Amino acid sequence: MRKILFLATTILAAALSAASANAEQKEVTVWSWFVQSTMAKSIAAFEKAHPDIKVKYTYYNYSPEYITALKAAAASGSLPDVIGLQPGSLTQQYRENLEAVNERAAKQWGDKWAEKVFPVNRKQMLMGNPKGNENYYIIPQESQVLCIWYNRKIFEKLNLSAPKTYDELKAAAKALTDNGYIPMFQGAADGWQNENVFLMLANQFSPGIVDKAQAGESPWTAPELVAAMKAWKGLFDDGIFQQGALGAHAYPTGAQLFAQGKVGMMALGSWWMQESKFPPPLSEFVQNMDGFDFFYLPPVKDGNSASPPVGGIDIGYGLTKNGGKNPEAWTFLAELTNGVGLQEALNDLNDLPAFEGNSPKGDITDHVKEMSARFMADLPKAENQRFASPAVAEALDNALAGVAAGSIEPEAALAAVQAANEKALAAK
Amino acid sequence: MRAGSVTTAVERRSASRASRLYLFALPATLLFVVFIAYPIVWVAGQSFYAGTADRGTVFAGLANYTTVLSDPTFWTVVRNMFLWGIITIPVQMLIGGLLAYFIERHTHALRGFFRTMFFLPVVTSVSVISLVWVQIYAPYYGIAQEYLKHIGIVMMTSPIGDPKTAIYALIVVNIWQWTGFSMLMYIAGIANLPNEVLDAARIDGARGWRLAVHVIVPMLAPATKSLLLLGVIGTLQTFPIVHLMTGGGPNRASEVFGTFIFKQSFVLGDTGSGAALSVIVLVIALVLSLIQIAVLGARLSPAGKQDP
Repeated sequence: MRKILFLATTILAAALSAASANAEQKEVTVWSWFVQSTMAKSIAAFEKAHPDIKVKYTYYNYSPEYITALKAAAASGSLPDVIGLQPGSLTQQYRENLEAVNERAAKQWGDKWAEKVFPVNRKQMLMGNPKGNENYYIIPQESQVLCIWYNRKIFEKLNLSAPKTYDELKAAAKALTDNGYIPMFQGAADGWQNENVFLMLANQFSPGIVDKAQAGESPWTAPELVAAMKAWKGLFDDGIFQQGALGAHAYPTGAQLFAQGKVGMMALGSWWMQESKFPPPLSEFVQNMDGFDFFYLPPVKDGNSASPPVGGIDIGYGLTKNGGKNPEAWTFLAELTNGVGLQEALNDLNDLPAFEGNSPKGDITDHVKEMSARFMADLPKAENQRFASPAVAEALDNALAGVAAGSIEPEAALAAVQAANEKALAAK
Repeated sequence: MRAGSVTTAVERRSASRASRLYLFALPATLLFVVFIAYPIVWVAGQSFYAGTADRGTVFAGLANYTTVLSDPTFWTVVRNMFLWGIITIPVQMLIGGLLAYFIERHTHALRGFFRTMFFLPVVTSVSVISLVWVQIYAPYYGIAQEYLKHIGIVMMTSPIGDPKTAIYALIVVNIWQWTGFSMLMYIAGIANLPNEVLDAARIDGARGWRLAVHVIVPMLAPATKSLLLLGVIGTLQTFPIVHLMTGGGPNRASEVFGTFIFKQSFVLGDTGSGAALSVIVLVIALVLSLIQIAVLGARLSPAGKQDP
């Protein structure tokens, strides 16, 4: 009987002790569309540095799962502590559910913390705020620079080099097509990839013109933007993009074909380097990024320069009102965006840092280091990639698809974007 | 005991029994109220409010409805939904009915195999179906192109990338996916056909095509009516295939109610007009269902048997 009593007491004590340990461990809840495997590494590094905090991460596909989950949770007041965000429209949709993080960030990183964030990111952090509202509702974790990637092994085989003029680009596309390769894969069924290429073109005709048009300082029907829209159509008509691009998706179709060495070029961004860190088997092209290098879109018209770097925040995180009541939530957010969590993401080559002074470490080849350094050198001078109003982005997506399909003229298409822009500015 | 008191006691027991029976309906009623009735009322309420610049809402009366109805995209959606219903429902019924007839009447050992094969697309993930069909439609490097090149055909564009053909290309995928369901409904109907009627028809000289058209098809009317009702509702609920394959594009050419509501509510953050659209779809579904029940009757079970 005594033995039984002793055993029961021991079990009870152990259970109470475990419960007490669990009670001491604080929990932070996080939702995002960020790659699960990389986030798991970031969380492991964070929990190692903060053993008293447990992070519960929920992954969603971005659309429709993530944006519908956010909407439902915001309506019912059950958002997690930290949410993944894109700057501009997505952040603005949830502004009322987010804490302004200015004070917390100043306490964490010093009063001049914002100056350590790359200028294009800083601009995007405030994008869409009402006039005079200088609050930050998003802390960027990673940045990106858009570019044209090319398969340098295929180019070498066909005696091609990275094009510097539009004629060279057309010649490269023709040589690739003639040899059975897809010239430049465009997932034109995806609005985001079309926007990216259009931004490369527009900034080539007049750097910063899309930002001016968004702000109402220049019309969307400006000659430079009409010329950019015509050049966009030219990419389809001149055989730069593959046949049937309007029905194609960049992911997974285009990315898979590109990784397998069936595509010559693709308009992506600095995030493409992460392919080399995916679980094996990897193709000979993706392995250590051996098969790839990048260039900026060559001038599509005499007198233009090559497209300038375009980019900004890849992903950022916001502290919700619920998270504001949980002190550990900010601790995690800070480490994820500019601490041990970020370092793990950089080591996975997920993308470029948003804060200065960070770089990938670990098992990375000289070729990847060299490309990463080139991106990092271009990031401070990058033009803005994001849209403040989702309605304007949507109107531009429709305009680009319509022009590419030949169902609408560039001028009329841009007039529709101008109308959407005016409506968005009036509602602000 | 007097007759009057016996009657009262019986009535009391009967009333008590009836109230207990209502309790059995309570869980289903609660689920209906919480998960169906309340959301409908909430969405209907939201349709009368519009967002403000400071992220608040303001009563907007019928403004959301007038905005939606004056949007050209709405009428593109109405056209697409009409085409979707008018093509998919009869084609699925026809192919599904023919498959069911031939499988049930002309296959024996492999009957289970054929039933399973034709039903497989119904239970396959829409994501997988979308990925495969995008690849099938892709010109230059696509699956269909691989076969077509052997007969000298080169696809110059993708059917889902052309505004003129996108909606039809999506309708083909939808028919491919859901024909198995029509087949299953008709198989259930055929299995329940009374043998004595069929035997009598054969004795009277009905064979083959005549037997099928004049005897079997009319007797399968309940299954046909069910498919019609489900087809109309399914048409109005169309979302995943379009969202995954074209996103409603190019330039909104393949937009359907599901993708339009999703964009307004979740992408553009315009909950008011998204709610107004949802109410319009609900009203359309209700009206169409009532018309069908009024015109076709309520005998919707595959067996075609009404309760006495």
